[in-house]
This record gives sequence, C-alpha cells and structure tokens, in this order.
Amino acid sequence: MLRHRNRLPWFRVGNGRSLQARKAISVPITTAERLRQAIQTLVLGVMLALGAMPAAAAAAPATAAAPAQMAAEKVLHVEIPVPETTLDPEALQDLYSAELVSAVFEPLLTYDYLARPARLVPDVAAAMPEISADGKTWTFHLRQDVAFAPDPVFAGRRRVVQAADVAFTLRRLLDPAIHSPFSFLLEGKIVGLDAAVKRAREAHQPFDYTAPVAGLEVLDAFTLRVHLNAPDVNFGHALAQPNLGILAPEVVRAYGDQIGGHPVGTGPYRVTHWTRGAALTLEANPNYRDRRWDFDPGQDPAAQALAKEMHGKRIPAIGRVEVRVIPEQQSALLAFRSGALDVLYLQNKVAPVVLNGQGQLKPEYVRLGIRHEVITDPEILFNYLNPADPMVGGMDPAHIALRRAILMVQDDTAFIRVIRKGQAVHVPYPIPPGVVGHDPTYRSLLEYNPAQANRLLDAYGFRRGADGWRTQPDGGPLVVRYWRQSEGETREYEELYKRGLDQIHVRFEGHPVPFPDLLKAERGCQVTTRLGAWIADYPDGDDFMQLFYGPNAHANNLACFQNAEWDALYVQSTRLTPGPERDALYHRMARMLETLGVAKVSHTRLHHMLTQAFVQGYRKSLISGIAEWPYLDLR
Amino acid sequence: MSFYLLRRVLQMIPTLFGVILLVFLLFSWVGGDPAYVLAGKFSNPDDIANIRRQLGVDQPLLVQLGIFIRQVLTFDFGNSWATQEPVSHIFATRLGPSLALMVPMLILETLLGVTLALAVAYVRDSWIDRLLTLTTTTAMSISLLVYIIVGQYVFAYLLGWFPVQGWATGGEGWVRFAVLPVLLGLAVSLAPAIRLYRTFVLDEIQQDYVRTARAKGVSEWRVMLVHVLRNASIPIVTNVLASLPALLIGAFLLERFFSIPGIGREVILAVERSDFPVIKSVTVSVAVATMVFNLLADLAYQWVDPRVQLS
Repeated sequence: MLRHRNRLPWFRVGNGRSLQARKAISVPITTAERLRQAIQTLVLGVMLALGAMPAAAAAAPATAAAPAQMAAEKVLHVEIPVPETTLDPEALQDLYSAELVSAVFEPLLTYDYLARPARLVPDVAAAMPEISADGKTWTFHLRQDVAFAPDPVFAGRRRVVQAADVAFTLRRLLDPAIHSPFSFLLEGKIVGLDAAVKRAREAHQPFDYTAPVAGLEVLDAFTLRVHLNAPDVNFGHALAQPNLGILAPEVVRAYGDQIGGHPVGTGPYRVTHWTRGAALTLEANPNYRDRRWDFDPGQDPAAQALAKEMHGKRIPAIGRVEVRVIPEQQSALLAFRSGALDVLYLQNKVAPVVLNGQGQLKPEYVRLGIRHEVITDPEILFNYLNPADPMVGGMDPAHIALRRAILMVQDDTAFIRVIRKGQAVHVPYPIPPGVVGHDPTYRSLLEYNPAQANRLLDAYGFRRGADGWRTQPDGGPLVVRYWRQSEGETREYEELYKRGLDQIHVRFEGHPVPFPDLLKAERGCQVTTRLGAWIADYPDGDDFMQLFYGPNAHANNLACFQNAEWDALYVQSTRLTPGPERDALYHRMARMLETLGVAKVSHTRLHHMLTQAFVQGYRKSLISGIAEWPYLDLR
Repeated sequence: MSFYLLRRVLQMIPTLFGVILLVFLLFSWVGGDPAYVLAGKFSNPDDIANIRRQLGVDQPLLVQLGIFIRQVLTFDFGNSWATQEPVSHIFATRLGPSLALMVPMLILETLLGVTLALAVAYVRDSWIDRLLTLTTTTAMSISLLVYIIVGQYVFAYLLGWFPVQGWATGGEGWVRFAVLPVLLGLAVSLAPAIRLYRTFVLDEIQQDYVRTARAKGVSEWRVMLVHVLRNASIPIVTNVLASLPALLIGAFLLERFFSIPGIGREVILAVERSDFPVIKSVTVSVAVATMVFNLLADLAYQWVDPRVQLS
C-alpha cells in the first residue's frame, strides 16, 4: 500500500534514518486492495469533511551539549489536531497546549510513565514530599541539578531551579490577571494564598508576588514547605499537573504578557521554532539533567517488555520533535500513511478505515508493523437532569420517577454504535476506568428499558392525553427541553434523546444554543437536561464526585444537584485516603444519583494511538495533557 | 476628479461606521459571553466576573462601542483573548501564507479565464464551446471539498507528487507545499470565471463596432485582442477588483485541509473561540479593503475606457 511513499523523498520532512526505516516497512499490495482502500478513504473523507463544514514558536553551556548532540539526528514527527493557544503553563486552557507544555516545563511531581493505575513520582522534587502527621504540612526537597533551558534573559549563565521559583509558580496559578481555568487546583488550599488573591481582586491591583504568604515557606534554596488549610489527599496530584510547570520569575517579568509565546522551562525539550497555530520544533534541552528510563511496569506483560527494551535509555532519546497542527482527520491519516507522521491520534471518525469490527488493526496495517494502542479516556459522558428545573425538577416521588424514566430510555448502546462508531465503552459508574475509585462491577439501576419506564410513568400519574403525549400528574403540560451546543455533532445526540422520549410518549423540545450561552445557562442552573462530559484533571475519583457536590452548583455541578445527605457523604469522602472505606461511600453516592434521577453515566470514549514500526517506548499516558514524546526513541 | 475622490472617501466613513455597529451588535447579542468559555470548567461566578472585567465586557455597551471605534481608528486591536498573541502579529504572520495561496490563484484564474473565454467566444456554438460549457457546468457543480479530498488523496498520497499537508516559508517551501492547494483552488474558481468572462466577451462580439472593424478588414486577432478585449475589460476589472478583499480572509478550507497557517484558518478559529479582537480586526479590514478596491475599480474604468467620466 505504501510503496509509492518514497518516490519523491524531498517532500518528506523526516531525516535519513526515519526514511530508511520507512523503506524497510514498505510491502507490496494488490491492485484490488489499493482500489478498495482508495474508495473507502475517499468516501469517508468526503463524509467527514461535509460533517465538519458547519463547525466550520541561546546559547547552551558547553558542559551540557553532549546529550543533545547524541540525540540530535533523530527526529520524531507528531501531530496535534487542535491549534495550541499558549505555552504559558499557568495560563493553559486546552489539552494540546498542555501536552506541549509538559514537554517543555516540569512540575514538582509527575506520574510514572508505565505505572497503572497512575502513580505519583518526584520530578523537580528530589523525593516525594514529607507530609506531617496531620496532613497539612508538605515539605519538598528539590533536585539541585534541574536547570532552565538557555534563554537570553539568563545572559549565558546556567539558571538552576530553586524553591523560590516553585513558590512563585504556585502563586502565579492564582494570579487574577492570568485567570487560569485551572486555578481550582490550589484555590482554598494554601494558607494565606487566597487572601492575597482576594486583596488583588478587590483592589483591582496587580497581584503582589513579594507579599508574604504564610502557607509558602522557603526554608532554603532547595527546600519549600507548604502549609495547607486542611488535609488534602489530592494535593500531590495538583502539583503534578502541567499547569504547575515551574517558571523563572525573571523570565516572566522580561516577556510580560507575551510570556505565552516565550516558553522557558526545565523540561526535556525547548521550543526552537514556532509558527503559531501550525507547527513547532522542539529540540532537546541542552541543560536537561541525566535522566534515564526507569519506570514501574507493574504486572502488565506489555509494559514489562517495554521496560526491558527501554531500560537505561536517556530521556529524551530523540533530539528533535516536529509537531504539526493537523485539524483534519483525513489529512492526518494520509500523512501518517505516507510516513510524514510517526505517531497518530486516531480519531473515532476515521477509526473504521484502520480498524476492523473488533477494534483491531486491519491486516494491511499489521503487515506494515504499525502498532496500535487503545485506552479508555479518563472521562465520563453522562446524561443529567436538573432537579431544580420547573418541568422535570422536584424531589417528590412523581418527579423522581419522571427523571428516572427519562434516564431509562437513553440507549447508551445505540449511542456508542451510531455516534461513537463503536469507539466507546459503556461505563455506568461516575468514576471512569483508570481513575482511582473506579468500580468495574457496578451495575446501573437505570439501564435501557422503555417498558419499565412506561410502567413507572403510568404508576405515578403521568397519563397520556388524547394526542398521545403524557402530561404532568396535575394535567399540566410535560415537555422536556434538551439543551445542546448549536455547533458540531450534537444534533445527533438530540436525535437519539428524542427517540428515547418518544418511546415513553413525552414531548421533546430541542434547544441548540451557542457554546458560551450553553455554559452560561449551565452556570445559571437553567439547563433542563443534556449530555455532560468530564475528563479527569487528576486521576482520582474525587475529581468526578465533586461534579455533584451542592456547593459546586453555579460552577461545575452541571446538574445543580443539591442534597444534604449526598453533600455530607461527599465531605466525608474528602477526608479519606483512597481505599475500601472511601470506595463504599462513592458507591453509595453513585446509587443516590440514580435513585434520585439526577444522572446516568453513559460511556467513556476509546483513545486509539498508532505508531510507526520504528517508534520505541510508546505507551499512551493515562493522564490527559502529558506528552509521551520525551520517553520515545526511534530504531 | 479630486472632488470625486474626496466625496468617495467621505462616503466611506458612514459605511465603515455601519460595519462597526453591525459587527459590534451581532457579537454582543449573538456571540455569547466569552468569559464563560475562557473561565474553564471549574469556573465560579467570581472567576467569570474577574474575566469579564479584564476583557472589558462588563462595561456598558456604549463604552465598549467607543473602545471598538478607538481601536479601529488606531488600528490597534490589542491581544487575542484566546492566545494573548497581538492581533497585529496574527495579521503579520498569517497573511503571508494566505496571500501565497490566493495571489497566484487569482492571477492564474484571471489569465486563464480571460484567454479561454476569448477562445470559446470566438468559436461560439461550436462543439468546443459546447464541450467547455458542459465541462465548466460540471466543474461548478462539484463541491470544493471533493476537489480537496480527492486531490489530496490522489496527487499527494497515492501518486506522491506533493506533500499531503504542511507549510514552509521561502521560495522552495512555496513550491513544495503551495502548488497542490493552488491548483485545486484554481480548479474550483476557473470554471465560473470562464463562464462569466465568456458572457462579457459575447456581449461585445455582437456590437456594431466589431462588425465595422471586420468590414474595414481588421484582422481577427486585432478584433478580439484589441477591440473586444478592451471593451470587455470593464466588467472583468470589476470582477477581479471585487474579489481582491477576499485575499484578506484567505481560503479557509484549503488552509485547513493542507494545514496552512493562513488568515482564513485563523478566522474560523477565532469564531470557534469567540475571540472578538481577531474577528473585529478581520471584519473591519475586509470592509475597508472592499471600499478601497471598489474605488480603485471605478478609477480603473476611466483608465480602461477614457469615455467614462467620474463626476
């Protein structure tokens, strides 16, 4: 299939090594096979494109040059499907910018590349933090060999990361001028920090980075002590996010509000060329410390083989990473198939071109040695109903029954088959697979069952009128307004939702609105029902259970669910470390969401990754926004 | 002439104000509150209020309109709300790739369109004319998306003549990456251009002065290239100059499919991100360009045909 790829090698962006490898994997195919694939790709491409229509980026010290030279000849070609917005860690807004930031910056902690479930390990920190007996004091000792990448601001000197830089970074995440969408990671947690933020906001003055914050104690150049307002088992996860990549204060001052275009971090790569929104070149950071492959594969045979193959390799092993922004799935797939990309995020809509009905690579791809990895995204998609909505809301038995009936006619299997093209798995628990607290044995009480839903409505007095539609028990009108984003594929969601309501003879009203208006309505608790989505900010069940915590209404409690009993259970869960006791609470809370007809978890999407045969060490990160590129090598 | 120019320039002011007002009202009423998008999924009312204050969207509408007018007058639209990149830098860096696509397309389209239109008009009603009419009608009936997808698949992937996608600056880079998108864009735009220009030429061929010229023994080459072409130039110049403002908004589909960092793709992104500073600057720029090119078109009429009086 790919024999033709090397006819005009001057078109390829890759180095000679990659091309040789690509030549090695070229195999002949039959004309019929080529024709079949051509037709398939063309038809799919046209369909995808038509569907997409509406939606219509210094010198290095001599002592550190050797590692960069070692790897300089290797070039990795990768893509991101959405243009990056910024490379300022604290100002990150989106997943793909986070991936880039994760390659350029380092936080205090990170996640073991191979460990499943995710396990925190030190990054800029020399070791895991010392935590006081009451859980409120965290002491971090920093590595003394972590230096920022060369930048003119440093005037040629090697700038080593110090505790004051970390304290600056922690403050910066809450700086009102940055309005970080991820400020929640630290909000309300560090003693005195929120008060400093509040002062700046109220005075409409710049945030004072020099004012002392009681919770941030720089003990010496390489030791930072953080005092928390309350014990927080997830504080370590917060410190491992790309959003807390460590910055040098003098760099931030030098570049001002254009810091997002001048990324200077301590990570394995630095940005050497950047065409914003289109392409970036990352080159190995010459100041990067001597870091080697040494990860915990656990009991997974595939991970063990990977650990054995890669053990002792330098990180990064590849000198240059060429990142291209390729918004169109057809273009990305063709680029991968032509050898211009080494790693591809296979989006669901093109998955049928590459995968068979069982979700496995088709033989022609297997013959090329292409590797396929599939993981379930750490996310949930769930249908929720607003218990405070004037039409379907209320905690009286009838309206609880109504909401349960509505949730019972949501056909998750059909949704996965029709809309996700089979590239999702039904997950009924509010905590998805791969996230601490997930219960694979959980069975929903609200599985698809129109007959039972009808009986429930009959029993609670939602009678059918002469026109065949049901009314409220008091005879009033019963119309369910389904909210959705007016752009994108959500029209299909609406079709399926309506089909479910038709089965129980409940009138449906679609309500498409622009995305900002949808968010505004949701924050205002005005949304009756819609398909909500949540992807893990950190791999712990708390990140998902907080979605239904009463005080989070008008924020991220999308359903605006408020229940004293549920809230008490949630508060109790936040005081527990992960384990059976907390799991039992989570189980009970999940049941309450169903019995009260608040939400029904539908599915989790599958994430397919393809890598060329010559790419070594690939394992898709479980944590969104963390790039795998620094851990790879090329044969 | 000077009075005419002054009058036309003065007429641009209320037109530009109308554009400003329309864009502002549309964005204010339909565009939604950007603070909710920028605030992120964990946002609370305080976060949103903070962002609204920083963006200035918490100000009264009249104040916001005043700021918009000041930005237009100083041509300083500040930074993108989504990326913090200065809007002027967005224009400076994205316009080049778009022009590298659009200018060759426009030149080739005009040259080929006029040449072929003259040729088929000359052999009007012959099988060549009918064949070209059929071909252009068919070509116009096919979506640009089909041209792009099939062209990318066949010429870039299957035959390997061009890269599947990507962009590079410089002459060699242009040859590597722009040729296929330009050819595909040309394939789409050429058909309607031929049909339109053929009509203009046919209108002139039927005029008395053509018959007179032929009666005087003027050669067919001279009749077509001097007499007919010159008189058919006015609507052609109008059509070409009217399409020049489109250069400023690029060809977003070509840019999107071939991953070209042009202004067209940036505009679509700005709309998706509710990035008002970018939307404002592009809209106002296109409006100004349209008015300027319209004026140039009027001036060109007199250059092409001295009988035209501008008063």
